[in-house]
Formats: sequence, structure tokens, C-alpha cells
Amino acid sequence: MIRLVPNHATRIKRSETVTFTFDSEPVQGHLGETLVAALMRAGHLNLREAPNDSAPRGAFCCMGLCQECAVIVDGQVVEACRTVVSADLVVERA
Amino acid sequence: MSDLNDIAVVGAGPAGGNAALVAAQSGARVVMLDEQPAPGGQVWRGKTASILLAPVTPETTAGNGLRSALSESAATHLADTRVWDILRNGDHWSLQILRNGATEQITCRSLILATGAREYVQPIPGWTTPGVIGLAGATSLFKQTLSLPGKRTVVSGTGPLVFFVASEIRRLGGEVAAVITPNTRADWARATPSMIGQPKLLARGALWMADLILARVPILWGHAVSEVEGRDHVTGIKTINLKRGVAGLSFATDSLCLGNGLIAQIEAAQMLGAAIRYDPSLGGWVPVADPDGATKVDGLYLCGDGCGIRGAAAAALQGTLAGARAARDLGFSAPSPPVRPWQRAERFGRAMTALSIPHADAHALTTQDTIVCRCESLSRRDISTEITTGATSTNAVKSGKRAGMGPCGGKYCQTAIAALIAEQTDKSTSDVPPPTPRPPLRPVPLGQAAGDFDYDDLPIPKPAPL
Amino acid sequence: MTTGPTYEIAIIGGGIMGCATALRVAAGGMSAIVLDQGDLGQGASGVNAGTLSLQIKRVKLMPYALKGHHCWEEMGDTVGFAKTGGYTLAFNAREAEMLHERQTLKSNAGAPIEFVSNNQLRAAEPNLTHKVEAASFCPEDGYANSSLTGQYYRGKLRDAGIPYREGCAVTAIDQGDGFTLTTPQGPIRANRILLAAGAWLKPLAALLDVDLPVNARVNTVSVTERLQPLMSSVIGHATGLLTMKQKANGTVLIGGGWQGRGTPQDGRGTVDADTVRPNLALAQYAVPALSAARVTRSWTGFEANVPDFYPLAGALPGVPDAFVLGCVRGGYTIGPYISQLMGDHILGREPEMPLFDPGRDFEKDTI
Ligand SMILES: Cc1cc2nc3c(=O)[nH]c(=O)nc-3n(C[C@H](O)[C@@H](O)[C@H](O)COP(=O)(O)OP(=O)(O)OC[C@H]3O[C@@H](n4cnc5c(N)ncnc54)[C@H](O)[C@@H]3O)c2cc1C
Ligand SMILES: Cc1cc2nc3c(=O)[nH]c(=O)nc-3n(C[C@H](O)[C@H](O)[C@H](O)COP(=O)(O)OP(=O)(O)OC[C@H]3O[C@@H](n4cnc5c(N)ncnc54)[C@H](O)[C@@H]3O)c2cc1C
Ligand code: FES
Repeated sequence: MIRLVPNHATRIKRSETVTFTFDSEPVQGHLGETLVAALMRAGHLNLREAPNDSAPRGAFCCMGLCQECAVIVDGQVVEACRTVVSADLVVERA
Repeated sequence: MSDLNDIAVVGAGPAGGNAALVAAQSGARVVMLDEQPAPGGQVWRGKTASILLAPVTPETTAGNGLRSALSESAATHLADTRVWDILRNGDHWSLQILRNGATEQITCRSLILATGAREYVQPIPGWTTPGVIGLAGATSLFKQTLSLPGKRTVVSGTGPLVFFVASEIRRLGGEVAAVITPNTRADWARATPSMIGQPKLLARGALWMADLILARVPILWGHAVSEVEGRDHVTGIKTINLKRGVAGLSFATDSLCLGNGLIAQIEAAQMLGAAIRYDPSLGGWVPVADPDGATKVDGLYLCGDGCGIRGAAAAALQGTLAGARAARDLGFSAPSPPVRPWQRAERFGRAMTALSIPHADAHALTTQDTIVCRCESLSRRDISTEITTGATSTNAVKSGKRAGMGPCGGKYCQTAIAALIAEQTDKSTSDVPPPTPRPPLRPVPLGQAAGDFDYDDLPIPKPAPL
Repeated sequence: MTTGPTYEIAIIGGGIMGCATALRVAAGGMSAIVLDQGDLGQGASGVNAGTLSLQIKRVKLMPYALKGHHCWEEMGDTVGFAKTGGYTLAFNAREAEMLHERQTLKSNAGAPIEFVSNNQLRAAEPNLTHKVEAASFCPEDGYANSSLTGQYYRGKLRDAGIPYREGCAVTAIDQGDGFTLTTPQGPIRANRILLAAGAWLKPLAALLDVDLPVNARVNTVSVTERLQPLMSSVIGHATGLLTMKQKANGTVLIGGGWQGRGTPQDGRGTVDADTVRPNLALAQYAVPALSAARVTRSWTGFEANVPDFYPLAGALPGVPDAFVLGCVRGGYTIGPYISQLMGDHILGREPEMPLFDPGRDFEKDTI
């Protein structure tokens, strides 16, 4: 099929993969990418429970504002969309 | 860091970046702050360190241009720096900034706010399901990590962004299940005259569209997503034909990019006393500023999408205007750039904004059970009941229901709530301003706000009288 | 110029004082209307820290505060009332001395305050710092949710058939055969008026050429996002410069009267980072785990004060049929009760406890 927009996927070179844990499960991500990107790729979309109705929630604005991607790293609530993947990172549900 | 700067610029996008460049060139001592790791703003957001090599796009080129100009400029750039409060102190501004896990204070004589936009997403049933992300938000995934929201994605929303996002998904190797846009082909035809002046953008848009058609991606004009299915993650979506009010096609999908245009991030300007006005063709509530960014508040300048959605080209030009104006007002010899190019760019930007603002029928998509305030899980019914029982302002609804008191601070619910208030009380939206903005501009860990302290040094005032 | 009905009383100011007095006079058969320049309960009454603490009340106001607590308890869930008990902490010898002196006087005035040992304190509040030098406890202390003030009184006024107008600033008051109030919603006529305009009392009274010595304090409050349970009672500081509680929803509210910027005439006031930061530091010192908690909002509200720090409650000097109620320290706590006294006074009944003459000599100790 003719593509006017070329597929660039094969032309992208990424950093090495490292393993971190999310909710005690090992997850692979590329060193230096955002946690949200790595978690999405690994199929971890459901990051937290909403208050009141306990409904599942995941990254939404991808720009550090909505707080839907809040997770805990080192005892601190952080936005997964603004946190960078490194080896042995321990990420817990907020 | 305690030294007084001539100019501080908040935001390192096209607007803030160019403001900093021209101001620094005039000899002013300039500091530019941004919460992103690199300059570029939303449109030219830089890649994370995970990308070692990738094909170049127009966004990369433009962003690299700005980044290299800034790195050669005398302007100081503080990256990964969140501005959480700003206050006037005598003849200067004091900014509380969060950097490397600690609060620092920056001072400046003049302040340029170039805080950009965020997006508006019309609440629909299921929009809180993991796997639904903002349409503009999706572009930040693409730009930063060249990664995809899912394996098969429905792209839905208004304006040109919907086609850009669909095209980027294809470029990055993903599958677009469908493109769904409330705009009609007639909407686009009406906007065409204002696009003539931007042949490059026009050509790019035509290419995206042609590619989608060739790839037989269904494009549903005049449609909206009416419901998202799935509990832990998106499994499919339903659509509605807006004109006829009947159900349209449904699609199986694992992700949805959803957006209804952009709104200006006006909170900082508002907090500092800038007047605001309602102008739908600029995305809603915007602060009042001259084309060169000057405001009625002494030493405060505004530029870019943060003072009205006019697009990246206009933002860059207005950044230059505002940077030069602020420098000139401080006595530096900066140029007086012509306003005409900005006016041309803004005409195009406004036309795109007009295409992007929520469709008249959009509010009907928010059913009674739809969550409107995500942070507090409040449905349209919850909000409507509060309005019916007498809360007729956004502040009153916020007090009564906590809508806007959650961690996002109302950034993703207030537009919808104001529309509900207007509808239920027969007011015009221009009579329903957003609630009083309050610091911090972003959530700040308490210990990082307080900073290191010795108990004995805390300036504890005299106790209240007995 | 013709107008609508003539009310027996027009109440200017839709905070706690205005609304609660309206309910009292209406219950006594008087036709009343409540006017607010903004929305009901968006002044001090709607943005305060909601602390109901006898431990930080003034000694001479204690009987009023005790009654106030009972009013809040009756309002219960609809205002987010919780009687949790409260601890007041001293972190050094100087503060411990202050705590003993102050709490003893308050206890003598009727507040059931006792001093507690470190062991008792730790058993009750394990997340508190271990650097406590002395602590007192009052089982009557607690809080209510001030955000609900507007919602609550709107409902109560409606149920009682009392009209209220929002966005209705009184900009002029004409006397002669009752009062005619100029508002953006047209003139409003009444036989009596109550000035219940909180921190705006001075400019309001000036419309009647009365100079009330009212100044405004700009109090600051901050709140965190939802947290795991960290404390179960109201936590205060010997100086009163920290009040803190964790709401049922998990958010922690931090106040203590630290001063922001601005004037009531000019917007809603501005938080001053230079005072918020030590306020937060004090909170973190008391409960170290708060360090990681994210602050989502800090805000200010205007609280009215007079030089002797006692309420203004009674007849407006020199203007027959005009009354004033305001400037009550701890006015959220005391408001519902002192408003009943005020209402009774307006109805011509003898109030249960004395009011506070607005015409007194503020330089002398007259209370
Ligand atoms: C998520 C998103 C994606 C977008 N993608 C595109 C696109 O691909 N193409 C397009 O044409 N338009 C896009 N836009 C529209 C965008 O508004 C552009 O028109 C352009 O980026 C505007 O430039 P600007 O300089 O005015 O603002 P921005 O580029 O938004 O820059 C504002 C900067 O301010 C920073 N900032 C804001 N507040 C603070 C704070 N308190 N502390 C520290 N830093 C702060 C932000 O990090 C940001 O970098 C996008 C908008 C959004 C919201
Ligand atoms: C931040 C803060 C924290 C506090 N914390 C506590 C606490 O923890 N515990 C406690 O007991 N007390 C607390 N207080 C004190 C308490 O909130 C006040 O004493 C009390 O709410 C005062 O009530 P009010 O009705 O007199 O004033 P307000 O609630 O301010 O009401 C006055 C009303 O008058 C209206 N008005 C003014 N001028 C006009 C006009 N010309 N025309 C029409 N309407 C007008 C205003 O809009 C306003 O709504 C706090 C106060 C503040 C500001
Ligand atoms: S996705 Fe919104 S803050 Fe991260």
C-alpha cells in the first residue's frame, strides 16, 4: 500500500532497556524515557484508583497538570509523565 | 540565585524562548524558567534521553533552532524548574521555584509570562478510563519518547490537531482505528481563506489527510465519541452523528486520543492582577494584554498561547514583541519589531482556534452520570444539583462540591462547570468567570515548599491576645 | 422611584453572622432579606480553617465559644462537623510556660482542658514529633468544613422563606422613614438594617458616616492532597500559630493566622510565600511525615478586627434601628451563637449573654 506518511518506527534508535518495578511487578523501559511511556508500552494503563468511586485511572494530559498519573517514587508522589525511567526504580501506586 | 534579574521569563516555548532571546540580546540580565527538561514548549517539546537517533520532523527542526539559539544566548535557562508562586515585592517580582527538590527564590524587575495552553476535553461517558489521553497530550508522548498510546488508537477531536495526531501515530508505526471529528468539511471550507497565507502548513495538512484516505482509515466528519467502553482499560468506543443525533459507527480500540481545543493557562497572570476577558475565538478566558505583551500591571508582560490561543507561529512572534517591549521599558536598547507579521500569524491561529473550540452540541455529550471533575469523581448530576440549589458561580460550586479543590486545581473541570452554570442559570458564559486562582501553580511537596529550617529560626509572630 | 416590599430588616453581609442572624430574627417573626456583594459564604465564613477549638479562644469569650460548639454539633454532618478532640503543643520551655499559663486560665473559664503526658500524646497521635515539651488536650475541640457555609445557609434561608440576593453590593444607604439601600439590583427598603459585612464593615458603616475602628487581617490557610491517616485530632501550637487537622477525605488543612497580603476592598487577597513557608514548616515540625505531602492550595481570607480584639455586637452608634455584628475572633466557632444573641436583641428580647457594645471606648479595657 502506498504511504504518504512513512513509517519511521524502524528508523528510531532507543537507549538500552532497563528494568524497574511498578506495584512490585518488573517492567522494562528505555533508560531516560518517561515512566508513562514505559508503563503504557508494557500495558500498565491503570495507575491508580480515583477517590470516592475507586474507578481506575491512568495518564491523561501527559503534560504534568492533571495528576492522573500520580505514582510514588522514594516515598514521594510524583507525576509519572514527568519522571524518568532508570534501572531499579521502585514505583508504587499512590 | 538571589541576585536581581532584569527580566524573568516563565515558559521556554516559542513565546518565552523568543522573548528571552531578544531581551538578552539587548543586554538585559534574563532568566528563563520551565518545568520541562529542555526549551521548546508544547509544540517543540524536546526528546528524552531514551531517543538516540530518529528521523527529523518540522517540529524537531524548529525546536532545535530555538534550543541552539538559546544555548548561545546570554539568557540563563533553568530547566526542570517549576514556578509555584509569584508575588510583587516593592519594585520587583519574587518567584518561588522548585528545582532539584528544593524551593529557591528568584527576583526580577520585569516578568514575562509565556505559560502556554492546556487542552479542553469535553467530558463523555468513560473518558476517565485508562487508555484515554488528551489529543494534544498525545503529541507530547510522540515528541518526548516517540511512543504510542496503544496498538490501535481512535483519534477524536476538533481542529487540525486530530489529523496531526493520526498522522503521527502512523508515522510511529501505530494503527489508527478511526478519525472522528465534530468538524464538518464545511467548517474546514470556511477556514480555508485564512490558511492561504500559510501554504506550508496547508500542504502538510493535505498530506496527512491524503495519507489517511489512502490507508482507508475511516474519517467520521460531524461525529463525536459518545461513549468509551472498558473498565480497567479502553476496549472500544461509540460515536454519534452530531447533526442527526443518531448513533454512528462503533470501533474496537485499546486507546483513544480525545480533545476539544486548547485553553490559555491564565492562572499566573490572573494571580498577579491581570484583567481577564472572555473570547471564544481565543479559547475562552484570556488575560488582557497589548500585542506587544504589555499589561496594566506594572512590569508584567504576557505572550504566546497563554494570553489567547493563536498557535505556535504567532506565539514565537509575540515572544519577540514582548521581550523587546519589556527590555525597552527597562531602558535597554531593544528593537521595535513590526506587529504586522504577528497579526498575520494570529489570523491563521484564530481560524484554527475557531475550528478547534467545542462544537455547540458538545455539552450534550456529557450525560448526567459522566464524571466532570476527575479529581473528586463528581458527575454532571452532582454539579448540576449544586447549581440548582443555588450555587451560581464557579467559586460557589467549588466550595460546595470540591470541584476544583483536587490535585489538578480545577484545570480539567472548570470549563465544563462554567458551561453548566451558564446553561442552567441562563447566563452567558462570559458572565461565569473561572474560580479565584490560588498558589501553588503546581502541587508542591510540603517539605520542599517549607525548605530546611531550624525551629528556633522560624519567624513565629506574637501569639494572639489572651 | 418605587421599590419592592419594605422588609423589617435588611441584613448586609451573607457570612455566618448575617445568615445566622437572619434565621433568628425570621424565627421571631421578622421579615428579613440578606444581601451579599458576592455569593453567600464566600467571605471569611467560607474560606476559614474551620477549627472549633476552645484551646485557642479568648478567655472572656469562652462562654460564647462553648455555646458555639453546641450549635456546630447540632448542625452536624451538613457542615462537616467532627468532634475529634484537640492537642495543643509546646516545643520548648518558653512555649511550655506559655501553654501552662494560657490553658490554666482557659480551663478556669470553663473549657475542659487538661495537660497530657508525652506517653498519652504518643499513644493518641503516633505520627507527632517526639520533640514535644508539653501538651494540652481538650475533648470538645474539633472542626467543621467552612467550604460548606454557603451551601448550608443558602438551604436554610430558602427553607425559612428568607430571600437572599447574591452579587448585590450595598453602595449607599439613605435614612429617613426607614432605610433605602442602593444596590446593582435596584433599591431595597427596610425598617432596620444589620451591618454584618465582616472585614468590609468599615467602608459599609462609613456610608452612614459612622467610623468603626475595624481593620482587616489577611489569614492564610493551606491544604494538602489526600493522604494516608496521619492524625486523628486537631493539632495546635501553644502560640496559636498552627492549627491543623486531617479531614475525613484525607486532606490536611493547615492554618494558624499567618498573614497574607491585600485589602478587602481589592480582590480576595494574596498568599505571601514568606509567611506560608514558615506556617508549613511548623506543620512539618509537628508531624514530620507531612514533608512528602503535596500542598495543592494556599489561600487567604479577610478577618475583621478591632483594637481590643472583642466583637462588635449591638446598636450602631448614632443611627437608630441600625445594628452591627462582626469582628469576632474565632468567629466561625462563635458565629452561630452570637448571631442568636444578636437576633434576640434586634427582636427586642433580652439576649442570654451580654452583647459587645460597638460604641465602647476601644482604648480602655471595657469588656
Ligand atoms: C499538550 C500540547 C501539545 C501541543 N502540541 C502542538 C503541536 O504539536 N503543534 C502545534 O502547532 N501546537 C501544539 N500545541 C499548541 C501550543 O499551545 C502551541 O501553539 C505553542 O506551543 C504555544 O507556544 P507558547 O510558547 O505560547 O507556549 P508553550 O509552548 O506551551 O510553552 C509554555 C511553557 O511554559 C512552561 N510553564 C508553564 N507554566 C509553568 C510553571 N508554572 N513553571 C514552569 N514552567 C511553566 C511549560 O512547561 C511550557 O514549556 C500544543 C498544546 C498543548 C497543550
Ligand atoms: C483564613 C481565615 C481562617 C479563619 N480560621 C478560623 C477558625 O479556624 N476558627 C474560627 O472560629 N474562626 C476562624 N476565622 C474567623 C471567622 O472565619 C470569621 O470571624 C467569621 O467567618 C466572620 O463571619 P462574618 O459573617 O462576620 O464575615 P464574612 O464571612 O466575611 O461575611 C461578610 C460578608 O459581607 C459581604 N459584604 C461586605 N460588604 C458588603 C456590602 N457593601 N454589600 C453587600 N455585602 C457585603 C461580604 O461579601 C461577605 O460575604 C478565620 C478567618 C479567616 C479569614
Ligand atoms: S498525565 Fe496528567 S499529570 Fe501526568
